[in-house]
Amino acid sequence: MAKTILAVDDSGSLRQMVAFSLKAAGYQVIEAVDGQDGLDKAKKQTVDLVLTDQNMPRMDGISLIKALRGMTSYQRVPILMLTTESGDDMKAQGKAAGANGWLVKPFDPQRLTEVVKKVIG
Amino acid sequence: MVPNKIMGSQVKSLLSGVSDHGDRHLAEVETDLVQMNILLGEAIKKLGSSFMAIHSALSIQQETVNLLLSGGTPAPECIARLEAIQGEIGEHVNAAVTGLQFQDMTSQLIGRMVTHLSGLRDVFGALDTGSTNVLPESNHDDIIALLNSLNQMLAERGVALEGALRRAVNQRHMESGDIELF
Repeated sequence: MAKTILAVDDSGSLRQMVAFSLKAAGYQVIEAVDGQDGLDKAKKQTVDLVLTDQNMPRMDGISLIKALRGMTSYQRVPILMLTTESGDDMKAQGKAAGANGWLVKPFDPQRLTEVVKKVIG
Repeated sequence: MVPNKIMGSQVKSLLSGVSDHGDRHLAEVETDLVQMNILLGEAIKKLGSSFMAIHSALSIQQETVNLLLSGGTPAPECIARLEAIQGEIGEHVNAAVTGLQFQDMTSQLIGRMVTHLSGLRDVFGALDTGSTNVLPESNHDDIIALLNSLNQMLAERGVALEGALRRAVNQRHMESGDIELF
């Protein structure tokens, strides 16, 4: 059974590119338009991996991670940040919140798929 | 300090404050525009290159399809070439996917520029509102109080500008970014 990835990004084109890349590698992808939408969808269905942007309306990526880590079902689910942010201070905040990795945009589909495979198989 | 000197000092402060505020907003907008131009240029170059390469690969594939349809047998090297082309198409599609992400970055830069221009418009709006409080019968004290409040407003907006407009997009190339697993 295909593993499910929750892709959270307020950019429609970016979500499309992420979904295209991961579906081509055999994963099932659920899309969310911002952190709040991501949290709502994560509550409805526990996914195998969360891939989230940082700067989004309503709820940013780090707040989403904190909210997910507060849920029993998401304490061990890998969460990766995929963002334009590349500063060490922001990475440290993400790591402290519970992120398992940091990917700086733009992403290369092959490298993204390799990382996802490494994290969830 | 006599009223004229106080007023002169306040006017000087207001003029330099407006100039500094405007200069900071516009300098940031200028930087963002230059960055956006670079990103768009690289993205278009990458997408154009991928598009042409995919078109070329499909043309070669089509030649083989035409040969097969006409009853011919493709040479072994032709089959190997087709397999290689399939891999090349995958690489070019990946490059195109990377290039297509320009929209995400440029829209963030545009959003930041809009915020800068909006901030500048707010300052001009506040100055306009302030000017309506200067009446022909206003005395020195009234004008000094008004200038003082305008200077305070500028100082507050300057502080707000520092905090609200952190730069989230630093990319100057459309090459894929760093990956770090914790």
